[in-house]
Amino acid sequence: MKEFFRRLQYLAHRRRFDQQLAEDMQFHREMSARDSTPNFGNMLKLREDAREVWGWVWMDRLLQDLHYGFRVLRGSPGFTVSAMLVLAIGIGVNITAFSLFNLIALKPLPVRDPESIVRLQRRSPDMITAQMPWPSVVFYKAHSNTLRAVMATMGASPMELESDMQPVTVNFVTANYFSELGTMAPVGRILMPEREDRADAPPVAVISYGLWQRRFGGDPSVIGKLIHLNKKPATIIGVTPLTFASLDGQYSDVWLPLAEQPYFVEGSRTLADPSNGSVRMWGRLARGVTAKTAEQELLSLTNELRKLHPDLVWNHEYIRIDAGGHLKVMQSEMYQVAAMVEALVLLILTAACANLGGLMVARGVTREREIGIRLAIGASRARIFRQLFTESLLLAMVGSTAGVGLSWAVLQTALAAIDAPAWISAAPDWRVLLVALGVGFVAAALFGLAPALQIARQRQQKTIARQVLTGAQLAVSCILLIAAGLLVRAVHQVLYADPGFGYEQVLGVNPELETHGYTAAAAQTYLSKLTSRVRVIPGVESVALSKMPLLKRGLTSYMTVEIGGRSVNAYPNWVDPQFFRTMSIRIQRGRTFLAGEKNAVIVSESFARRQWASADPLGKPLWRDGTSKDAIVGVARNARVKAMNDGDAVEVYWPAQPDDMQAMTLLVKTAGAPDELAPRLKSIAEGLDSKLFPSVWLLKSGFHETASDLEKLAMLVTLLGFVAVAMAGIGISGLVAYTVSQQTKEFAIRLALGAKQVQVLATVLRQFRWPLIAGLLAGSGIAAGLSATLRKTLYGVSNLDPITYTSAITVLLLVAGVAAFIPARRVLRVNISKALRCQ
Amino acid sequence: MPPGALGLLILRVLRSGALHGYAIAQRIHVLSSEALRVEEGALYPTLQKILLKGWATAEWGISETNRKVRFYRLTSAGRRQLEVGLSEYERLHEAIQAVLRTA
Repeated sequence: MKEFFRRLQYLAHRRRFDQQLAEDMQFHREMSARDSTPNFGNMLKLREDAREVWGWVWMDRLLQDLHYGFRVLRGSPGFTVSAMLVLAIGIGVNITAFSLFNLIALKPLPVRDPESIVRLQRRSPDMITAQMPWPSVVFYKAHSNTLRAVMATMGASPMELESDMQPVTVNFVTANYFSELGTMAPVGRILMPEREDRADAPPVAVISYGLWQRRFGGDPSVIGKLIHLNKKPATIIGVTPLTFASLDGQYSDVWLPLAEQPYFVEGSRTLADPSNGSVRMWGRLARGVTAKTAEQELLSLTNELRKLHPDLVWNHEYIRIDAGGHLKVMQSEMYQVAAMVEALVLLILTAACANLGGLMVARGVTREREIGIRLAIGASRARIFRQLFTESLLLAMVGSTAGVGLSWAVLQTALAAIDAPAWISAAPDWRVLLVALGVGFVAAALFGLAPALQIARQRQQKTIARQVLTGAQLAVSCILLIAAGLLVRAVHQVLYADPGFGYEQVLGVNPELETHGYTAAAAQTYLSKLTSRVRVIPGVESVALSKMPLLKRGLTSYMTVEIGGRSVNAYPNWVDPQFFRTMSIRIQRGRTFLAGEKNAVIVSESFARRQWASADPLGKPLWRDGTSKDAIVGVARNARVKAMNDGDAVEVYWPAQPDDMQAMTLLVKTAGAPDELAPRLKSIAEGLDSKLFPSVWLLKSGFHETASDLEKLAMLVTLLGFVAVAMAGIGISGLVAYTVSQQTKEFAIRLALGAKQVQVLATVLRQFRWPLIAGLLAGSGIAAGLSATLRKTLYGVSNLDPITYTSAITVLLLVAGVAAFIPARRVLRVNISKALRCQ
Repeated sequence: MPPGALGLLILRVLRSGALHGYAIAQRIHVLSSEALRVEEGALYPTLQKILLKGWATAEWGISETNRKVRFYRLTSAGRRQLEVGLSEYERLHEAIQAVLRTA
């Protein structure tokens, strides 16, 4: 340890120590000269040997190398700028991807003690849900010792504030939610467990900073004000701070105490019903308790719960605990998506590095003289190698810095565009910086090591290495371009192809009978009244019932079934006989349901084709739940309303039964434009029961929302594809330029001997024929393999779509051709006599 | 000279008092009956190592030629190191001798 400090001292006072050493040796010289045993030899070199003992020589050399590298890079600005550009993009894309992941899954929320916050989820080998019945949450809360606090949240439909046009978003939370998160109200107070944890407490609301500013002009006197939410009076008690960080990205305009939910949603029995999974459960692990221990304790509690409600707890049910103190609670599927994105951005980095590696090799030629001289005056090959690699590192670090800047700019723009919560910042934190450093090193190793080795050895650069680099680069670009092409085609299909159902003239009405505690019979009565009232409105063509709200954001349920040996997502719906006419879904074979029919089922065209091939599906049995047996009465045209971009999805329709009535939504098809009808439908639905707050939506807006999500995804991938193609272009032109410069003499001889210019040009370009073909073939092959994972996002496009593949290959051929031709033209301008004299 | 031997010799000649670099080389040269000649290229790196390890310190003094020069003085850590080095050397020497005598 002492030795280390002495070493540090030598570092700090290097100049003084060096001076002393020089004096010592000078004295030695003088003395030995006096004793007539004169010494010769390079004093400087001897001193350097002695200094090496201090252990800081590497740093001196590094500084020297950096200094030299800096000068070299400044000396060829053209190369430096293009290299930095390529690197900034290649590395920047990687850093952006990581920053995003960091933001979502790694950065702790700015709340009190985020590490101990967990999300609890019901699981069994074949069921997963984060929605728990409130009575179960109460049970776990009462009996768990491993959780020192339990919080719950429940989403709700937007509510009317006074008589505003724009409804406000609402969340119900347990009264300890804010105090557990350490939230401080800038005005008023937050919910308090001792006051708002009772159903009979005076109704109160906490409003968001945004709503406070927007609706109440930031007026502090809003505290104590009486407002009406869905006509229910409540007192505003406080405002959440601007930088409020809520769990799992749940935000709303208004926060209401969960205990008062039955008051705000009149008639609701949600909280009392042990079979109604509707709240999300959060907890805080007790000190020193691991998630595993808590899971074990909760498992035994689940088994206790089974004794109380034997039929409500699933077989092998357990509570799964996930870290909750991040922006999003990560699920394994989300990690899969993250891995896919990571693979994609790494491909881009590889392309960038292959590209730059090619340029570096090419540059080695121009530096042959310089390196030859340095070797001649005594530099070791190791030293030359180190010097060259230091240059690469320098480039990579500058690239990394630019990449961090780029990613910050991209994130900043994206966060502003999606109106992200105010506490989320795009500024890179230490994790991002660390990754930037790491990616920089990896990039330097990828593009710098091999060329540095080659140049230091002064080997004639092998054509084969260059060709492999070109091929690899083309392959990578090819993969990206094909993926982009497939997604763009899919979006195009969704937007412009006939989706198999009509949405332009259809409105949805969801009276939310279930949330207001309707019985099946009451729901039936309500729905038939509503239907008959709506049907007589002039301009209404037909009215139907559908259990699944269509083209509306919200939960989607599907089952994964095995059909013809392949697992596909089947989207079920429970509908009435008018459904197919209202949604303009053609019945291809058989018929629609009859009124009051049971044990019948209609499947979609692809379902029928996959399951029974060419055989007639009508009358065939379809098993459901292993108990009831349904016969197929019809085959409907494919209509992937619920999964527009999943080309593999199939649909199954059952006739809605009396038990389904509380959950039904209404679909109304109009003859003309439906927009005018929305308020009218709302007032009719409200008029039938004043405690209801039905939501009415246009199916076409839902359709466009889904399509625009897809469009954004496709645009992103296209952008990445273009980046890759542009980089491939730069890389190819660099390599061709290099080949031309290396073979100038040969070309000059050929031209002198009477070869035509076109022939010489062909010789240059021919060298890149095989890498081009191999790269494109390998790229298409890999893309064909990988794109199978994209199937679920590709609507109506095969992942082997020939048009996409051919056009990607054509684009690449064109780019490669142009990129190669521009530098190759130099051959045509070769001054024969000069070229021959030169060497 | 075997590796490490020069360091041992330097520590040994420093035991009787502080010396400057040239004097160390001279002393070794004389004591070895002019058999050993210590070159600058070996002496100064070894001296730097000894300083770094804390076995000797350097201090300013006046040489016999009346010149300001650095003298190297053995520290107590240096004395201990000399003991260790000597006993290691003895062992090695005896082992080699044993082989040479009997083989």
